[in-house]
Amino acid sequence: MLEELFNRIVDMDEEGAVSMAKEYLEGGGDAKKLLETCRDAMGVIGQKFEKGEYFLSELILGGEIFKNIMEFTLPKIKGGDEKKLGRIVLGTVKEDVHNIGKDIFKVFAEASGFEVIDIGIDTPEEKFVEAVKEHKPDIVGMSCLITAGVASMKRTVDALKEAGLREGIKIIVGGGRVDEGVKQYAGADAWADDAAKGVRLCKELMGIEG
Amino acid sequence: MAKTPEELAKERYNRIMAAINLQEPDRVPLRGFGGDIVPAYYGITQKEFCFDYEKGTKAIEKYLTDFPFDWPSAAITGLDGRVFSVAFSEYPEVAVSTTFITGPMHEVLGDKYYRFPGMEIAEIASPQFIGGTFMQPDEYDELIENPPKFVAEKVLPRACRNLDTPQKTMATMVKLGIEFTRFGSVGREIAGIAARLGYPSIPMGGAYAPLDIIGDFLRGIENVLLDIRRYPDKVKQAAEALVEPIINYALSFKKRGFKWVMIPLHLNEYLSPKLYNEFYWPTLKKVILRLLEEGMQSQVFFEGRHDVHLETILELPKGWGIAYFEKTDLVKAKKVLEGHTCVMGGIPMSLIVGGTPDSIKEYMKNLIEQVKPGGGVILSPTIGTAPKETPIENIYALIEAVEKYG
Repeated sequence: MLEELFNRIVDMDEEGAVSMAKEYLEGGGDAKKLLETCRDAMGVIGQKFEKGEYFLSELILGGEIFKNIMEFTLPKIKGGDEKKLGRIVLGTVKEDVHNIGKDIFKVFAEASGFEVIDIGIDTPEEKFVEAVKEHKPDIVGMSCLITAGVASMKRTVDALKEAGLREGIKIIVGGGRVDEGVKQYAGADAWADDAAKGVRLCKELMGIEG
Repeated sequence: MAKTPEELAKERYNRIMAAINLQEPDRVPLRGFGGDIVPAYYGITQKEFCFDYEKGTKAIEKYLTDFPFDWPSAAITGLDGRVFSVAFSEYPEVAVSTTFITGPMHEVLGDKYYRFPGMEIAEIASPQFIGGTFMQPDEYDELIENPPKFVAEKVLPRACRNLDTPQKTMATMVKLGIEFTRFGSVGREIAGIAARLGYPSIPMGGAYAPLDIIGDFLRGIENVLLDIRRYPDKVKQAAEALVEPIINYALSFKKRGFKWVMIPLHLNEYLSPKLYNEFYWPTLKKVILRLLEEGMQSQVFFEGRHDVHLETILELPKGWGIAYFEKTDLVKAKKVLEGHTCVMGGIPMSLIVGGTPDSIKEYMKNLIEQVKPGGGVILSPTIGTAPKETPIENIYALIEAVEKYG
């Protein structure tokens, strides 16, 4: 059954996947195993995206299916989701109020086992600094859509440096207008302009093989 | 002897038109950019730039004076208003003013689509389009039945706080008319300044991809993508139904003597070739072809990566317009579209912001070597807005590099 569920998720059969997951749990299935199956399916969706077989619409629909299944699966797992690859503080940088890229990344990062602390949009440098102090993440993820965000990314990295926090973390920048030039300008460790690549690079930054 | 503004404008115009007509001009034309840098360079905030047209005009004048691009694109900021264009598509004298919603118009409408500096966001922040969900999936039939009526009577009252009762709507529309007039007159003033400075006049109206109306203004990007899977027939019919209103809106510019429309695409890079060819491209293609029949060419901004859809452009007749690319490699695009479509783009904004004059010159030399032969190309930043921190010397380096190697 789990194999069929896996295929349904990967094939974007939203209704079929959700109903099968419900059926599996109602029949006494193991919620943890279900979670693992969903994670694996999301991993494959990400790989298909990176290979050019899937596009943003499939990432978004895959994320939607995952969220829908998790809604009734996670409460059934004692102590919640235990697997944690690492912790990411994630936010859209100052002066940018877009959330779509950040939100797609967040679902895929969580699906692959990261704990994500989402600090929102239009996030001032100080708020990133505070969040790093408070949550001690392994990775800081900064997102932007508009070009003004590029400069905010640089200022945020600088603020983390000034606060003496840069050494202990890895920084990934992401978003529609982000490229290698932005990574260098901002002083980040990695960049991605899609969620699949972003999650793969986060694993690499943690020394985990994708 | 220095050229007169008329001579300079003619030289630039011929340069741009040669590229559009797939010829090799005297040198490769360079399209300019605007954005936060325009007010920052003049020393005012984005709020002042967006809301104080007099200061905004002065900022643009200074920018246009100091940075001589062949085809500048600095303007008072307005954000995409195509939902209003659909609503008023049957009234060309109204529709013609709806392409861009400026700060003062946003204030009048009280809409939830945009965020403007000094209102919802900081005074120094860039105005931003957010969009949203203002229609439910069970309303597709109503949209299909009569898009302008549905958008005007159902969507706009939900999307605009000041259009949510008939009385408020009446007052709002009067105020909006005043703002349309103000913006029209500042537009003419800026056009006059541009002419005095030797810039060519290539007025651009607007059109839109039908599916993007649904994604940007009615259902929201994520929802429309889910709708394509959940209610494919409805989505397809709705996009079809939007073709005619969009054409009517675009033709309101023809009546004013415009020969061009600008069409920025959004959902293109979200879709697989299968979905693109089924849900997006057919109706966009209809809009472009119909306008071409009416004597209007299109400049289409293929946002994001358009690589997998590149060859569909060849389905259009030769010389249909300009294909402006963001992340699609310009060299590759030119190879595919050579002799068929004028291509534009090639210069990453991160290079202009984060590069040095030397790295910019080197990049431009290399790019120009690859795309110049054979003509049919316009160089442009891959996105038209530069942040306020953009180093001035980099803008000069870009212009000089094109003058030297182009």
